[in-house]
Amino acid sequence: MNAIAFRRLRRGLTLPALLLLIWWATYQFGLSDSRLFVPPGKLLDTALNSAEGRAIWSTLGLSLARGLTGLAIGISLGLAVGVLLGVSRRLERFFGLTLHSIKQVSLFAWLPLLTLWFGFGESSKLAFIAWAAFFPVLLNTLEGVCSVPRELVEVSRVSGFTRWQTFSRLILPSALPSIFNGVYLALMFAWLATLGAEYMLGSGDGIGVVLMESRAEFRIDLMLLAIALVGLIGFLLDITAKALERRLLRWRNH
Amino acid sequence: MAQAAALEIRHLNKQYHVENRPLTVLQDINLNIRPGEFISIVGASGCGKSTLLRLIVGLENEHQGEILSDGEKIQGTSLARGIVFQEHRLFPWLTVEQNIAVSLINSALSASERHETVRKHIEMVGLTGFENAYPAQLSGGMSQRVAIARALVARPGILLLDEPFGALDALTRSHLQRELQAILKQEGITAIMVTHDVEEAVFLGDRVVVMEPRPGRIKRIVEVPLARPRERSGQRFSAIRDDVMVEFSEPQPEPAPLADSAPQDGWRITW
Amino acid sequence: MNVSRASHLATSVAGGMQSPWQSTQLKRIGHLLWPLLLPFSLGLFWWLGSRQEWVASQVLPAPDIVLESARDLIGNGLLQEHVLISLWRVLLGFLLGSALGLLLGAAMGLSETTSDYLYPLLRLVAYVPLLGWLPLLMILFGIGETLKIILVAQAAMLPVALNTSNAIRAVPRRLIEVGQVYGFSQTQVLTKVIIPAAFPSIWSSIRYALTKSWLALVVVELLASSEGLGFLMVDSRQLFQLDVMLVAVAAIGLIGYLLDLGLALVERRILRWRRASFE
Repeated sequence: MNAIAFRRLRRGLTLPALLLLIWWATYQFGLSDSRLFVPPGKLLDTALNSAEGRAIWSTLGLSLARGLTGLAIGISLGLAVGVLLGVSRRLERFFGLTLHSIKQVSLFAWLPLLTLWFGFGESSKLAFIAWAAFFPVLLNTLEGVCSVPRELVEVSRVSGFTRWQTFSRLILPSALPSIFNGVYLALMFAWLATLGAEYMLGSGDGIGVVLMESRAEFRIDLMLLAIALVGLIGFLLDITAKALERRLLRWRNH
Repeated sequence: MAQAAALEIRHLNKQYHVENRPLTVLQDINLNIRPGEFISIVGASGCGKSTLLRLIVGLENEHQGEILSDGEKIQGTSLARGIVFQEHRLFPWLTVEQNIAVSLINSALSASERHETVRKHIEMVGLTGFENAYPAQLSGGMSQRVAIARALVARPGILLLDEPFGALDALTRSHLQRELQAILKQEGITAIMVTHDVEEAVFLGDRVVVMEPRPGRIKRIVEVPLARPRERSGQRFSAIRDDVMVEFSEPQPEPAPLADSAPQDGWRITW
Repeated sequence: MNVSRASHLATSVAGGMQSPWQSTQLKRIGHLLWPLLLPFSLGLFWWLGSRQEWVASQVLPAPDIVLESARDLIGNGLLQEHVLISLWRVLLGFLLGSALGLLLGAAMGLSETTSDYLYPLLRLVAYVPLLGWLPLLMILFGIGETLKIILVAQAAMLPVALNTSNAIRAVPRRLIEVGQVYGFSQTQVLTKVIIPAAFPSIWSSIRYALTKSWLALVVVELLASSEGLGFLMVDSRQLFQLDVMLVAVAAIGLIGYLLDLGLALVERRILRWRRASFE
């Protein structure tokens, strides 16, 4: 690693390290009697040795599976509807007003309704996560499909493309950057929705449930661990998406 | 070698409707183009030359009158008529090779035949070695060469060019003009080029069609009976070029009655 | 125009068929009404469904009941009360958060050192979704007003700070060089080159931050509040008052829309001011 990168790393770690230090010092020197300040050592201990600590990894996996399932459903539906509305002006105008009105309602406002209609089980959670992923994908796909440059469409006409070829070889590749933006947003919203659904529905298992219960039981160590893990997943999702984008859209990188 | 096609335009008229009033863009265009001929079309903005080209290639279809290629009416686009636009219009997500192959998407050639002809055309435009480059990596001139290869690879009978070098710098432009001249000499197909540049028109064309605007119609057709390859510095070349330039000159004021001081070469207009 | 229309009508009367003008007008009306077809049919189904009791009223109350509840809530001022509380919280949090975000973002964008120290920490915080921070903040700040404002502010600050920093750093060097060639002072480079160039990107992150703020507010009001639209939803859900819930959903949607509209208007103002300042 060269000197500049090393300096950047060093600087980047300074503030987090400082915060950790303050946290440790607060506990060590009894600067605050808030129950918030668990010793960092206890945190590690919980993470590695306790029963909950070991269980939390499988719980995380469960949440991740749930989130990815909902995400897959939402993305597929969003793509399908987005493409459909993109190629057919008539359909777009038919559904447009309704969709844009529904879009205005903030995501979590739907959750209580969902629980009323579908209960507190797995289907409600999945439906909510899929819903969270659906809209960003739909809107961005629609935009991508609608903004294929007219100049390129003329090239496809001169080259004798069939309708299917125009769609698969011009419209889709041209829309791919926009579609990807939608998928990225969907990723982030789906993970948020997973946590939200687990937290608010409380039933079953999941890292959101851990967050909720650890707060209720004042188990700060468990809570901080859960937060760190949730952030870790967020980080992994982010770099996976960015890597995927680099591969799929490598023609842009020059 | 592809078969050069003839083109016949008879009493072509085209109107647009702007605010419910018809606007005549092309008026009574008549043109007979022999197979293998290179026709340059020059004219000021608004003379309808691009519209004429788009009608010939089939991107626009509503018109009165007839456009016949080898005796058949033109209906819509066809691979028999290739076109190079002013912008290269390459698909950004395809490599050079794949972009050229776009024209062959529905051809009956086998995969290896396709590969072979694409390779030959890459060589023809001087881009060997760049097969796997993306448009973002190419310069303007190189991208336009890919566009030319793409237009030629399906062996059209007519090549249409809509101000193909207008967006390029002067050096690249003259370079590509010479290359185009060489390619078309080799291919032997008919070509119709629209341009603003009178010199380019005379350099490349067998005949120069001068159009005037509002409404668009043919003012004059100038023959360019010079052998190829042509040089811009020749006397005959300059004479023909000036002859065409005349059509774009401002009308001369009436000479004063005592005209001794009037310059003898009053027709030499600079643009 | 009138002559041709008259002659068209004449031929249609004579020929007994629709004139071109008439059919164009009909087509135009059809075109305008087409987007309304779906909402209208849905509304019709809803009304029919509840009248014919295809669905139980606990699952979906009749539209007139929902409207009546809306009227009641507005009438006794309850709806306005909740709306105002939610609005106040979201606006305060959003303004605080985005202001802080702009400051931090600008600092990071202009100073590489600041960015080196601060950006990673903010990025780390951003990887944890809103709901991850909520329990921690609840412990730190209780469940009073402070909690709501802080969560909303955090939701707004992060995207604004990160995007502002990126946007400023993405201003092409050559534009800055033009400013330097013309002898711009540092301040002038900032105001005349960097800010206008980075503005579109910064602004879209501000709009995104508002959406996130509203989202955060709804979340915190669903979980830890005794007033506001989110609370109204949860409360009515406990009581199985679906009609009130639907009114709350509509209100949340409407407020979200108005907030975004408000920003769009502000944007137009800013652009007008910018254009004027160059004339």
